[in-house]
Amino acid sequence: MPPAVYDIEIRVAQTLHLIYSSPGEYWDSQCSEDEEPFQKDSLMNLTLAVRLRAGSDLSWISNIQVNQPAVLRRAEQIQARRTLKKEWQAAWLLKAVTFIDLTTLSGDDTFSNIQRLCYKAKYPIREDLLKALNMHDEGITVAAVCVYPARVCDAVKALKAAGCDIPVASVATGFPAAQTHLKTRLEEIRLAVEDGATEIDVVINRSLVLTGRWEALYDEIRQFRQACGEAHLKTILATGELGSLTNVYKASMIAMMAGSDFIKTSTGKETVNATFPVAIVMLRAIRDFFWKTGNKVGFKPAGGIRTAKDSLAWLCLMKEELGDEWLRPELFRIGASSLLTDIEQQIYHHVTGRYAASHDLPMS
Amino acid sequence: MAATHERPSAREIFSTLEYGPAPDSHACALAWLDTQDRLLGHYVNGKWLKPEHRNSVPCQDPVTGENLASCLLAEPDDVAAAVEAASDALGSWSGVPGGERAQHLTRLAKMIQKHQQLLWTLDSLATGRAVREVRNGDVPLAQQLLRYHAVQAHVQEEVLPGWKPMGVIGLILPPTFSFLEMMWRICPALAVGCTVVTIVPPDSPTPLLLAQLAGSLGAFCGILNVVTGPASLGAVLGHCPGVQKVVFCGAAEEARVLRQSLAGHWLELSLALGMESLLLLLDSADVDSAVEGIVDAAWSDRSPGGLRLLVQESMWEETMRRLQIRMKRLRSGRGLDGAVDMGTRGAAARDVAQHYVQEAQSQGAEVFQAVTMPPGSPFYPPTLVCSLPPAAPCAQAEVPWPVVMASPFRTAKEALAMANSMPRGGSASVWSERLGQALELGYGLRMGTVWVNTHGLRDPAVPSGGCKESGSSWHGGLDGLYEYLQPPGTPDQPPFVSEHLNYDNFGPAVPATLPAWPETGPSPVPPYGLFVGGRFQPPGARSSRSVWDSSGKLHGYVAEGGAEDVRGAVEAAHRAATGWERQCPGARAALLVALAAALEQRGPGLALQLKRHGAQLEAAQAEVELSARRLRAWAAQAQAQAQGHTLQVAGLRGPVLRLREPLGVLAVVCPDEWPLLAFVSLLAPALAHGNAVVLVPSGTCPLLALEVCQDVASLFPAGLVNVVTGDRDHLTRCLALHQDVQALWYFGSAKGSQFVEWASAGNFKPVWVNRGCPRAWDQEPQGAGPELGLRAAWTKALWLPMGD
Repeated sequence: MPPAVYDIEIRVAQTLHLIYSSPGEYWDSQCSEDEEPFQKDSLMNLTLAVRLRAGSDLSWISNIQVNQPAVLRRAEQIQARRTLKKEWQAAWLLKAVTFIDLTTLSGDDTFSNIQRLCYKAKYPIREDLLKALNMHDEGITVAAVCVYPARVCDAVKALKAAGCDIPVASVATGFPAAQTHLKTRLEEIRLAVEDGATEIDVVINRSLVLTGRWEALYDEIRQFRQACGEAHLKTILATGELGSLTNVYKASMIAMMAGSDFIKTSTGKETVNATFPVAIVMLRAIRDFFWKTGNKVGFKPAGGIRTAKDSLAWLCLMKEELGDEWLRPELFRIGASSLLTDIEQQIYHHVTGRYAASHDLPMS
Repeated sequence: MAATHERPSAREIFSTLEYGPAPDSHACALAWLDTQDRLLGHYVNGKWLKPEHRNSVPCQDPVTGENLASCLLAEPDDVAAAVEAASDALGSWSGVPGGERAQHLTRLAKMIQKHQQLLWTLDSLATGRAVREVRNGDVPLAQQLLRYHAVQAHVQEEVLPGWKPMGVIGLILPPTFSFLEMMWRICPALAVGCTVVTIVPPDSPTPLLLAQLAGSLGAFCGILNVVTGPASLGAVLGHCPGVQKVVFCGAAEEARVLRQSLAGHWLELSLALGMESLLLLLDSADVDSAVEGIVDAAWSDRSPGGLRLLVQESMWEETMRRLQIRMKRLRSGRGLDGAVDMGTRGAAARDVAQHYVQEAQSQGAEVFQAVTMPPGSPFYPPTLVCSLPPAAPCAQAEVPWPVVMASPFRTAKEALAMANSMPRGGSASVWSERLGQALELGYGLRMGTVWVNTHGLRDPAVPSGGCKESGSSWHGGLDGLYEYLQPPGTPDQPPFVSEHLNYDNFGPAVPATLPAWPETGPSPVPPYGLFVGGRFQPPGARSSRSVWDSSGKLHGYVAEGGAEDVRGAVEAAHRAATGWERQCPGARAALLVALAAALEQRGPGLALQLKRHGAQLEAAQAEVELSARRLRAWAAQAQAQAQGHTLQVAGLRGPVLRLREPLGVLAVVCPDEWPLLAFVSLLAPALAHGNAVVLVPSGTCPLLALEVCQDVASLFPAGLVNVVTGDRDHLTRCLALHQDVQALWYFGSAKGSQFVEWASAGNFKPVWVNRGCPRAWDQEPQGAGPELGLRAAWTKALWLPMGD
C-alpha cells in the first residue's frame, strides 16, 4: 500500500478516536447542521468524510484554475522545442520501448495472438540490432503486457513459457464504459488479480465526474484500490469524455488521493485519446500531488500513440514537466499496440542506414 | 549546455537520458555569404552598393566568434544615395494602382516562401536566436504580413479616399532585433505607396537578404533600400531632402537626441522605444500557465526584451517555486540547434544584462539563476531578480533580456496603479481566471497591447503601439497604414523654412505689460480671469494684457497667465480627466450638443465680437453657426469612433478589441486666426474622445474663447476645459516642457512649432504642429478632417482568447 493511503488510514484512526472519545466536540468542529447525516457503520465513508471535510484537502480540487487556451499553446510549443538526433534518438527510442505497455484489447483476441504478443514483449527489438548498439545485455523488454480480464490466464501462461517476469496488466471495471454495477466491477478486479494480473487498469465512472460527485468518485476508486490488494492500480480517466481540462485536473487529483499508482489518459476507445493538452494538465496534477504529499504517482498516456516520433515527444514532455526521475517504468508507461513496430523500424534505420521492409522485422 | 565534445554511446545516453546536440546545417547561409565574397555592402536601388574607402566591421557568429563576413559602415554619402534611389522610385511606385502594388507584395511573399530556409538559417546564424523561433514564428509571420498588406494595398484607395502616401520613409532599427521589426514597418509603408530607406546595424545580414529578394523581383527596384551603419546616421537620414518621415526603433536616450536634432526639419518622427514587457499575475490565475507566459515573455527567443513581473502577494511563494523549477529546465545553446530554448544575442546584450543584474544585486535585490555560465561564455542565463526595493534606481530602469524583475502587490487596484506608474507603456499581459477582474485590468492598463491569459501574440491585423516613453507609433492593422499616409486636408503650402533657434530664448518669461492708455472708444468689456478648474481665476502674476480690435482701439483686458497658472491648469485637468474618460461616449456627446445649443444662444453677441475684430457681420454669423455645427458633428462621431471595434485573428479563438483611448491631458495652442471656429474645432474632437484639455486661445482675440467658457463652466465638469491666456510663446514653452501633459497640438509660428518638436523629447509626448502654415478651418477636410479624430486618441489592442 502506498504511503499516501497509509497516511490516510492513520488519520482516520486518529479521527475515529476523537469521535468516540468526545463526539460532540468533533461534530461541532467539523459539521454544519445542513450536512447529510453521518453513517457510522461505513469506514469508507468515514475516511472520505475526514479527508474531504477536513477542508484543506477539498481545496486541492476546489481552488484550481486551468486555462485551456494557454494549455493548448504550451502543448503546441513543447512538441516543437526538443528534437533528438542520431545516437540520442536511438537510445531514447530504446528507452521508450521499456515504457511500453504492449496492449491488445480486441474482441477477437485468442491464445495464439496473445502468445505472439508476449514473445514480442520479451524480444521487442531484433537481437542483432541491439548488438550493433551494444545494448543486447541491457535486458530490454517492454514494461508490461495489457489484455482483457478473460485473457489474463493466457498471457500469464505465455510469459511463463517465454521465461520472463514481465507483469501482466488487465483492464477492468467494465472497460471501457464503466457502465456496470459497482459490485461486478469490483469482482472483475478480484478475478483478474486471482488469474495473475499484477497491474489493474481500472476505468472511472464518468457520470460521477460530470455530475460533480467527487466524494463518490473518491469512494469508488478507494474500493478499487482495496480490491487490487497487492496489484498496482492504474486509473483511466477517459479524459476525452470529461468535458473540460478543469475536470481532468480534478479527476486526476481525486484518483491520486484515493491511492492510484498511475493515472492514465484514456481507454483508447474514446473518440479523443491521449493528447498533449490533457497530458500537461495531468502532469501538473501529479507534480502538485507530489509537492503536497511527497508521493510520486505515475503517468500513462494511451491511445493514438503510433509513431516513434510521437513516443519521443511524450518522453520529452515527461522530462520537461516532471524531470528525469519520472522517466522510469515504475512511473511512466505508454499504452500502445502498433508503436513498437515503428520504433523497431527506426532502430533498424539507425543501425543499417536503410529503411526496413515489413518482412525484415518479426510481427507481433 | 553546450555540446560535449566526445560523443557518448547509446548505452550511456540510455541511462542518463540527456538531450544531445541537434545541429541544423548552415551551409546555405555560408554559400550565400560566399556569393558576396564575404563582404556585405548596402543594397540600394536593386543593386549591391559597395563604395570604396569605407570602414568595415566584422559580422560574427555570436556563439563561436567565427568571422562570417565583413560589413561596410555607411557614410552620409551612402545614405544620401539610398534616399535618392528611394525618391526616384517614389513616383512610379506611388503612381501605380493599388492592385499592382498588392501583386508586387504578394510576389515578395512568394519569394520569401521559396527561399525561407536560407532566410531562417542566415538569421539564426548571424543573430544567434533559436532557429526554431525564426523558422516557425518569424518567417511565416513575415509572409502573413506581406499578404495582409497586399490586401490593404488593394483596397486602400477605396477605403481611405483622399489619403496620400507620405513619401520616402526612413527606418532606423536597434542593434538587436528580429528582422520582423523591419517587416512590420516596411509592409504598410510599401502597401500605401511609400518607399523606404532602412538603416540597420552593421552585423545583421538578414535585412540585406530581404532587400535582395525584393530587388530580384525585377520591377520597382528602389522601393526598399538597406544601408548598414550605426543608429547615429538617423539624423543624417532625417536631414536628407525628400525624407518625409523617420521611424526610429531603439533606446530612449538615442531617440531623445534624434528628436531634438530633427526639430524644425518638418518631418514626422515615429518612435518605438524600449522592449520591456509587463506581466500581472493575480491570485485567481492558472499559475502553471502563467509561468509558461513568463517564459514566453522573457526567456525565449520570441521575447523582445526583459519582463517586469507583478505577482499578487498571496501567490508569491507558489509562483517563485514554480518559476525556479521551470528555469532549471530551460536550455541555452547555439541558435542553430533544434533543441534549445534560448540562443544568445551577442556580447553586447549579455553585458547589458550582466550589468543590470550586478547593479540590482548591489542595490539589495535577490538574484536567482538556475545555471552559472563560465566567464566569457556568449550566453547569459535566464535570471530572476526579486526583492528589489521600489526606490532603488534599478527598479525604474528598463529590464533587459533575459531578466525578469519580480515584485509583489496586494490588490488588483494596487497592481494597476503600479503598472500605470511605470514610465513605459508598451505591452502587458494579465493573468486571471476571473473575467471581471481581467477585463478591468485589461481596460485600465495604459499599454499599447494587453493580452489576457496569454503573452506575446501578434497578428498583422492587430495594431500594436505604445504610449508614454514607449513612444507613440503603431504598426499592424489600419493604424499601421495611417502612419504612412497623409490625411486629406493637409495644407498644401510649403512650410516655412525653419531657422536656427535658440531654444533657451523661446518665450522664456512673461513679458512685461504696461497699462494701455488711453481707453478711448466704447468701454472695454469687463476683464476675464483665467478659466481654470471650472471658474475664472486671477492669474498668479496679477497682471493683464490688453486686447485691441481691428480698428486699433482697446477691446478689453485678459489675464496674463504664466508658468504657475499652466501648472494649476494641468493639475485641474488631471483631476477631471479620469471621470471624463469613464463617461460613456453618449454622455460626452450629449454635453457637446448642449454646448452647441448654448453657443447658438450666445450667437449674436459672439458675432458682434467677431465683427469688432474685422470680420463681416455675415461671415461672423456663419462662423458662429459653423462652430455649433462642428460641436454637433463631433458629438455624433464620438459615439461611432470612440467605441473601437473587434478584430478577428487567424489562429486565435476569441476577439481582439481595438480600443481608442483618450490621451489624458491634451494641451492645445489655438491659431490666431479664426478665434472662435478654430477654438471650437480643436476643443470638440479632444473632448469627444475623452481628453481633458488646457487651451491657449487666439492671441489676437482671446475673448471669444473666454466667453464660450462661461457656458463650459455651467455644463462641463470643473477642470475638464481650462483656458489660459497670456503670452503665447511663454505659455507654449510651459506646456511643451511640462512632463505631465500627454500631448500637445500647436498652431502658430514656425519657430513655435520647432520649439514644440524639440521640447517633446522630454516625455515623448505626441505633438502636432502646423509648421507655421495656416489652416483653412472653415473647410471641411482641414477644419474637421479625420486627422483630428486620429490625433485625439491612441489605439490599444486588447486580446481576449477564449476556450474552456
